Amino acid sequence: MAEPARRLEPAGTAAEPLVRVENLVKHFGAGLLTSVKAVDGVSFEIREGETLGLVGESGCGKSTLGRLITQLIPATSGTVSFGDVELTKLRGEKLRQQRRQLQMIFQDPYGSLDPRMTVGDIIAEPLDNYGIVRGRARATRIQELLRVVGLNPYFNNRYPHEFSGGQRQRIGIARALALNPRLIVCDEAISALDVSIQAQVINLLEDLQREFELTYLFIAHDLSVVRHISDRVMVMYLGKIVEIADSAEIYESPKHPYTKALLSAIPVPDPKIQRNRRLVELSGEIPSPINPPSGCRFHTRCPIARVPGICADTEPPLEMKAPDHVAACHFSDEVALVTAPAE
Amino acid sequence: MATPILSVRDLHTQFFTDDGVVQAVDGVSFDLFPGETLGIVGESGCGKSMTALSIMRLVPEPGRITTGEVRFRGEDLLKKSPEEMREIRGRDIAMIFQDPQSSLNPVLQTGYQVEEAMLVHDKVPKEKAAERTIALLKQVRIPAAERRVKDFPHQLSGGMRQRAMIAMGLSNTPALLIADEPTTALDVTVQAQILELLEDLNREIDTSIVMITHNLGVVAGLCTRVIVMYAGRIVEEGPVERIFDNPQHPYTWALLRSIPRIDASRHERLRSIEGLPPDLIRPPRGCRFHPRCPFRVERCFTDDPVLEDVGPEQRAACWVTMKRAYEEMGARELVDVSPGSASGVHSAAKDG
Ligand SMILES: Nc1ncnc2c1ncn2[C@@H]1O[C@H](COP(=O)(O)OP(=O)(O)OP(=O)(O)O)[C@@H](O)[C@H]1O
Ligand SMILES: Nc1ncnc2c1ncn2[C@@H]1O[C@H](COP(=O)(O)OP(=O)(O)OP(=O)(O)O)[C@@H](O)[C@H]1O
Ligand code: SF4
Ligand SMILES: [Mg+2]
Ligand SMILES: [Mg+2]
Repeated sequence: MAEPARRLEPAGTAAEPLVRVENLVKHFGAGLLTSVKAVDGVSFEIREGETLGLVGESGCGKSTLGRLITQLIPATSGTVSFGDVELTKLRGEKLRQQRRQLQMIFQDPYGSLDPRMTVGDIIAEPLDNYGIVRGRARATRIQELLRVVGLNPYFNNRYPHEFSGGQRQRIGIARALALNPRLIVCDEAISALDVSIQAQVINLLEDLQREFELTYLFIAHDLSVVRHISDRVMVMYLGKIVEIADSAEIYESPKHPYTKALLSAIPVPDPKIQRNRRLVELSGEIPSPINPPSGCRFHTRCPIARVPGICADTEPPLEMKAPDHVAACHFSDEVALVTAPAE
Repeated sequence: MATPILSVRDLHTQFFTDDGVVQAVDGVSFDLFPGETLGIVGESGCGKSMTALSIMRLVPEPGRITTGEVRFRGEDLLKKSPEEMREIRGRDIAMIFQDPQSSLNPVLQTGYQVEEAMLVHDKVPKEKAAERTIALLKQVRIPAAERRVKDFPHQLSGGMRQRAMIAMGLSNTPALLIADEPTTALDVTVQAQILELLEDLNREIDTSIVMITHNLGVVAGLCTRVIVMYAGRIVEEGPVERIFDNPQHPYTWALLRSIPRIDASRHERLRSIEGLPPDLIRPPRGCRFHPRCPFRVERCFTDDPVLEDVGPEQRAACWVTMKRAYEEMGARELVDVSPGSASGVHSAAKDG
């Protein structure tokens, strides 16, 4: 009977970890003897009831990490625990029952919806899989979910191709909500929406979080949105975590030069400012996860790197730099001095 | 005055479904001048992609362009034969699709697909194509491009797929580039580099660009003129500074104030536009925005407003416009943007 008898204590849950990830690795084979080191040894926790934002360069391993946590792909090594259950050990029916609590909203609203199914069936698919509701109650639930994400309830008999990009994205959100999961990985879940509907969906996600004590891992490129929705923010670079901190703190005083560069590149919705802005360009080519740089993986593009020297030789550990603020940089004290080239 | 490279007139694109006719594009007209960068923004589902696909003559079934004109360099594309369109597509007009499946075949290697896109129009000699493909993938910042050309699309990250599509769009240095949400999957640093690439293209070889995006920061940085769409129609257009500083259509105004501010506090609720997006089979009578407009007056329920001059080179389709909303309806103090919420002249007008 490996089925967990104990549930997480509801009291004082704010700081309890819901998900614990340890030394998680995912390598994809890429030809003979080489591999893409998509996620390369990450450890962190997601606290119950929080929203953990996840940002980082395109291709750094965010979606792969989301898929590993929701058990959609097997890990190369390392563990993922959910409450006190080690998911990476489970197989078959036991894993299936746990997976119900973990849902993912996929990045690509086009590829992730089965084109032969009606929208109603897509949304109800998780419900059907677990045999939860039938008949009239099923139809009511579908309509309720459609309304919740701001789609017309009578759209349920239409097919995905009849919808625009943003409308499809909302279908994916409705599907993820169907089972009342405890953790939702939102992978670029609102990137195809206009700002008003984005705001509506974010408000909705926050309401649902309060009501059902949901926990989110929120992957996004829009840093203003991430800042708004996240309690804490985690930054990845080339398969590694480089920084985790409280969201206000990380925006005000980043302790890793990559985070700093990322923040400085946020486009400003004001033509007078945006036109004349000089961006801190990260110099150098984006390195490849097939053959990541030695030492600190960021050293080939870092404005404060000591090369040759410690940055090229020794991998910096992810360590405490301030209360509840970890970063992996040998010279995190100097990050505050990094500035954009003169305006 | 220069002649436009693209001139769209009274374009109507409809979908004939079992439930009725979806009026996806409903009388859209605009001009694009050589070297110009035009932004198209608007609510999700308002017809931006269908406008773009109509220009390319790629509207999917059961959709059809019912009336209108799409003049490219003076010739109406809607009158071209399918063969002529195939020639023009990719060579003179390229599109970066919002849907990766329209341009990336899942069972073919990515590099091969970019090469093919180039070779169809023999603008590039065959022996140069492989080399140019790698150069293009490097330009869009795909690391280890020499190896990546062999990857199948599912082996790339979301943002890499998007960049491969951008590379394909740029491969024949088109005179007109239509980019439909080209940067949604890119982090801000790569996005900035891609936008710079588009700017260079625009500056150096005078490519005209139509940029469809929800990212108003991207519009602010790249575009000179902006079109705002709502429910299949253009509701406002003008120079980018005017649209951001002085929007005149209540939809534009409400959209802009929904942008989350980077300095907003964590627990502040985001502003959005109340109400459901309109049903395009049975669009609202009068102004299509009236069921959700805070500033509506009686006339809005019955009469359809047309685009009229509201400022230098700026036009909006609204009976009230924000000038009056500011002066008479306290728009500046309005916190809640629910239907008819402004202390308007006739805000007593009953709901629907
Ligand atoms: N199925 C796969 N086979 C081989 N390589 C893969 C596979 N899936 C992902 N990768 C590789 O793993 C790396 C990380 O990809 P991932 O999709 O996790 O990035 P990401 O951070 O989500 O990027 P983006 O922001 O562009 O979506 C990339 O180099 C990608 O090419
Ligand atoms: N095959 C179809 N059948 C019926 N209606 C369709 C079909 N394809 C699109 N539509 C409708 O046409 C309208 C316009 O769609 P379009 O894709 O142009 O929107 P969009 O402005 O690009 O939105 P987004 O920002 O979400 O991509 C939408 O309301 C959509 O529901
Ligand atoms: S460890 Fe060195 S290379 Fe890495 S981020 Fe810090 S300063 Fe830069
Ligand atoms: Mg991804
Ligand atoms: Mg679209």
